[in-house]
Amino acid sequence: MSVQRRIQGAALAIAVKDATEIWRDGRFRFAAGLLFILLIAAIAGGVHNQSEIARQHADAQRAERDVWLDKGDMNPHAAAHYGAFVFKPVQPLSAIDPGLDPFVGVFVFLEAHKQQLARHRPIEDATPTRRLGQLTPASAALVLLPLLVVALTFSSFAGERDQGTLRPLLAMGISRRSLLAGKAIGAMLPLAAVIVPAAIIGAAILFWNAPADPGAPIGARAAGLGLVYLVHTLIWIGLGLAISARSRTPGAALVVLLAIWFANAFIMPSLAMAAAKSIDPSPSAIEFAASIQDEKDSWPTWDDRVDRVMQRFLDGEFESTMAPSNVEVVALLESEADETALYDRRFAELFERYRRQSESFERAGVVAPTLAARSLSMALAGTDEAHDREFAAAAGRYRAAMLTTLNGELASSGRFNTFDYTRGRDLWEKVPPFDYDVPSARWALSQTMWSVGALAAWLAAVAIAAAWSVSAMRLE
Amino acid sequence: MLRLLTVHEWRLWKASPIVRLAIASFAIALLAASGLGATRAQRERATVAKFEQRAGSRSVSVPHVQPATGVIGNGASLPVRADVAANERGYLALLPPAPLSALAIGQGDVYPNYIKVTARSLDAVVSGDQIEHPLAVASGQFDAAFVVLFLYPLLIFAISFDLTATERDQGTLRMVLAQPVTIGQVVAGKMIVRVLKLLLPILLITIATAALLSPTDGSFWPRAMLWAATIIVYGAIWHGIALLVNARGLSAPANALILAGIWLLFAVVGPSCVNLLIAVRYPMPSRVEAAVQARAATQDATVQGSRQLGQFLQDHPTSGNVGRDGMRQFALLQAQRDQRVADRLQAVEATFDAQLEKQRQLASWLSLLSPTMIAQGLLLDIAGTSSVRFDRFRAEASSFQRQWRSYFEPRVLDAATLTPEEYAAAPSFAYVDEPFSVTLRRVRAPMIVMALAGGALIFAGFRGYRGYAL
Repeated sequence: MSVQRRIQGAALAIAVKDATEIWRDGRFRFAAGLLFILLIAAIAGGVHNQSEIARQHADAQRAERDVWLDKGDMNPHAAAHYGAFVFKPVQPLSAIDPGLDPFVGVFVFLEAHKQQLARHRPIEDATPTRRLGQLTPASAALVLLPLLVVALTFSSFAGERDQGTLRPLLAMGISRRSLLAGKAIGAMLPLAAVIVPAAIIGAAILFWNAPADPGAPIGARAAGLGLVYLVHTLIWIGLGLAISARSRTPGAALVVLLAIWFANAFIMPSLAMAAAKSIDPSPSAIEFAASIQDEKDSWPTWDDRVDRVMQRFLDGEFESTMAPSNVEVVALLESEADETALYDRRFAELFERYRRQSESFERAGVVAPTLAARSLSMALAGTDEAHDREFAAAAGRYRAAMLTTLNGELASSGRFNTFDYTRGRDLWEKVPPFDYDVPSARWALSQTMWSVGALAAWLAAVAIAAAWSVSAMRLE
Repeated sequence: MLRLLTVHEWRLWKASPIVRLAIASFAIALLAASGLGATRAQRERATVAKFEQRAGSRSVSVPHVQPATGVIGNGASLPVRADVAANERGYLALLPPAPLSALAIGQGDVYPNYIKVTARSLDAVVSGDQIEHPLAVASGQFDAAFVVLFLYPLLIFAISFDLTATERDQGTLRMVLAQPVTIGQVVAGKMIVRVLKLLLPILLITIATAALLSPTDGSFWPRAMLWAATIIVYGAIWHGIALLVNARGLSAPANALILAGIWLLFAVVGPSCVNLLIAVRYPMPSRVEAAVQARAATQDATVQGSRQLGQFLQDHPTSGNVGRDGMRQFALLQAQRDQRVADRLQAVEATFDAQLEKQRQLASWLSLLSPTMIAQGLLLDIAGTSSVRFDRFRAEASSFQRQWRSYFEPRVLDAATLTPEEYAAAPSFAYVDEPFSVTLRRVRAPMIVMALAGGALIFAGFRGYRGYAL
């Protein structure tokens, strides 16, 4: 028998022995059963909520389109004041990780002169206890699953040493490397017994509740999500084994692992965000609104603006075919252009702050793998801040195009005198329906390269740490 | 004898490096959380003060002067068009930071602390959302309330899982009990030390930070007392659970495992499952559907009103092109249109609010399932950062809006120009917090429930110890 095969055989024997022992442990079966139920409940609940919200948004978008088209004849600029709602499309994978969806606005009202942030974050209507977190497949995979991993690995080496079986085990000629491989596989097998069925059932539930937009390409994103959860679990297995090998007693290993888990799941997210906000402070609502209002206040008044355009008209600045009554249209178009530029600038500043805050948050993933996995999970589900920013930008572009169509009609109507100038459905139809395509999985990953790097680095680091800890492990 | 046992335990603890490490990290977490909270509260206070000052000097900046007066420049004494003052500028109603906002940011990152009030019946109180990175809201805030809700119970369990198990296994407990003491007294001594070791830093650090870094006027001290009482009864529940588990006589590792599971269940899995249940079973009415309904309900009134107003003129009247009579007519038409739209909107909003309230009520009884959820509600309510205070702010701003409107509406309908004196004499708003007795009445019942639960658990724990097998 070759050496290689002997190592494999020994590793396998250890793995099977460990897995059997774990499986026979009633406490494990209880915890694993509970996790299984929670995973299934989270997936079923997530799919239910997601499809309900997706249906509401799709219905609303259709109803809004009808209202827009059927509003009757009116002046094109009055139509711009009448405005349009755009509703945020719901991502199919938000059933797995709703991410920031409950914390961002669900629709934007687009109108003349004013640009708004998305309004009505679901968290505002929720009961206050919602702030304590909601069970989702992502939170089960990233918060609860590592706890089960900790329970499976903390005594892997420390327990054997405690019982005095570590030395006889190695005396049998088993290499430390195959011992590590055996322990790792021994922990993975019982885990797989929970996760694989849950994943299959989850995928089936997801598949049978076809999302509102069945054509949406989610294959790459779904595969990415699975990979992120797998890598994150492997990191925790490596961490558990490394710390178990280094710890004097199983109790000490458990305490250290639980502290790391608590820091990752509970302390780091809020701490990382607090740090991100102190590095790049963002304005509060009142400051943001005031900064826009102050700038508007420094502009000439409407009456002034009209007077000034009239002066330019009298100075012969415009074509001789223009009538005096068109002065107000020119003033309107100019003020609209100023306003759009102002809002675009202020919104860009705010979103740039958010982007930098997200970046700082991601960097904290270097010290906390769960943070990196969480950022990636939200990115791949299409529910992170970058996706929200992208939607806001699309809404802004749609507003600009809508105003160009409507105001342009005023300018190019030939008659130009606007008070009695009305248009109907033919013009409203020229404003296309809002159609937002979610960026590709590649784009989502390109926004979270830090997290990709952090997660890969963590995987490599714990693999090395586990190998080193086991090779330097004391036997007594 | 109890005193002797307590002092003995205290000395033992002082010598233990692990305990010292745990208490030190707890204190550091508390200091960091309270410091972060206090910094945020200070910034909020500065912002509100800045805007209060701006509101106070309302006649100084004159961006919207009628060109007819012909005077541009430092217009401290310039007149202002009534509709501009009443609606365009409006009034910024401000909510000062809550008495204990340094300790619990609560819903302060969700609801805005200002409302723009105008004299129009439509959009009478325009409140946007609070602006905050959504990830910050999702991640929760690292404040004192967070440390109390999650870390405090975990540390209670961490220092209590081995009350007597190891001493029993090593046989020293038997020797102690050979002295004229009962097991109840021994356990009580151990409990007193454990309770004090965590309670002293938590109360001292949180209340001292809040008192040092924020004004302690108004109801600060009574609220601080309630804050302390909540922490005590919340702690009593977790100490009680620990005692009960210890009294079962299992080994120390078994106790640790059971207690970790209970913490996970009550503080993490329980609340998140309850929230999932609420989302599935009692979903809040959809804002999206309400928006579509509001749009449909007000469409006729909006379109009809817009036509009457003369389309383009509706939003851009200049005194130059219609004259004062025209402006009067315009103001009247606009007010009528607003009223019609507002009436229809109100019906939709009232239905929505009633539904929302009903769902919240249905959902709220589920929070009784976990002490963490009850304590969260209490801590936020006492700190003044729960939705109760924001609801009150909205209600007060609404009643102020009626004053504002009754002052300005006749002048707007008259297309009047306000003298600086008239403008300065317009009503102003100052938020008045609810009397402390109202808060006390509201938090009394849950507080008593928690105290009874804690007391019952501790009592059951001591009773359980009577049959403790040595």
